[in-house]
Amino acid sequence: MSSDFYKTSILPFAGIIIKLCRAYTNSQEDFEDYYQEVCLQIWRSKDNFREESQWSTWVYRISLNVCLTLLKKKKNNVQHFVSDSITAEETEDNFAFSDESLNLLYDAIRKLSEIDRAVIMLYLEEKSQKEIAEIIGTNPNNIGVHVKRIKIRLKKILDGKIN
Amino acid sequence: MEKSIENIWKEGFLKSDALVAPKVNNLYNQKSIHIIDKFKRMFKINLIAIVAFSFVFLVVSFFVGLPITGIIFFVTLSVLVIINKRLLIDLDKIDMGVSSYQYLKAFNQWIIKQVDINKKISRFLYPIIFISMLLGFWFKDAEGVPLGERLVSEIIFGFPDTYLIFGVPVIGIVIALVIIGLLALFGARIYKWDLNIVYGRVFKKLKELMTDIENLRS
Repeated sequence: MSSDFYKTSILPFAGIIIKLCRAYTNSQEDFEDYYQEVCLQIWRSKDNFREESQWSTWVYRISLNVCLTLLKKKKNNVQHFVSDSITAEETEDNFAFSDESLNLLYDAIRKLSEIDRAVIMLYLEEKSQKEIAEIIGTNPNNIGVHVKRIKIRLKKILDGKIN
Repeated sequence: MEKSIENIWKEGFLKSDALVAPKVNNLYNQKSIHIIDKFKRMFKINLIAIVAFSFVFLVVSFFVGLPITGIIFFVTLSVLVIINKRLLIDLDKIDMGVSSYQYLKAFNQWIIKQVDINKKISRFLYPIIFISMLLGFWFKDAEGVPLGERLVSEIIFGFPDTYLIFGVPVIGIVIALVIIGLLALFGARIYKWDLNIVYGRVFKKLKELMTDIENLRS
């Protein structure tokens, strides 16, 4: 990979990639694999960027699409999506942020479905309903209601009312 | 006062350790672990193996006196390779920069298409392989006479009442047809079982993701 491309076109948006990859993994090893894979796919797909959206929105799309469909092999040789098997109990200690509240919020986010995780992450990144809908490919009119529902669920998880 | 999730998010990421990018080394040469790349690798390896096997088998078939088997094998497997090569090209066209729904839909459609095509192929592939072996052995030279004819004359010698159609015992035709029927019936299922063992969970998950987005769309 051209290191210039990484420095100029990916690194300034690393925050987006890190935040998303963290929500779909529960160990430092998986997180680093995801981060690397997202960067690789951005580099490979860069010629498909048609400037119809902002570069940051496009990076979100690639990051999210990669996170939704990354495969790992289980011991029995069966392929599975890593994001499908996350429980807070399995999260490694060295994977934590120094901010405890943020750790708890991430643990709660990891308990949501993959699509709900995407919606709430984009919302927290202050994306508009229209942008969220464009990135996920859904109807913008439903996003507001859905965000409210996810926030209620997150609040319950954080309060320990549901697992 | 209890912090809102928006504030937890904002304040949490103000801390310096929160957004440190992992070290990236020699990224371009890393082996991708993405599902599409895994499918591409699996397809390429399979196709190369099929091409190599069909060539070797073709050459060997001439040496062991079964050229008909070798030729039918070679032609059939070549068709299989050409069809799957086209499927591989379709896989390259999936754009990861579109919305998640479009991306998952495109990938799901590719899976449905490839499973459907390969199931159909399997339905014909196994019977054709069986027929090619039958023909190969039937016409194999056995001291100047085709092996099949020699076998029939020995059967007639032992069982003079044997009923023949086009010089082949009816019982033989019936057994061959039953085997061909079973291979056609189970060929597609064998392919689906095989695929489901390794990728069944992934296919199910893809459907779930699509359903979740579709629910959001409605």
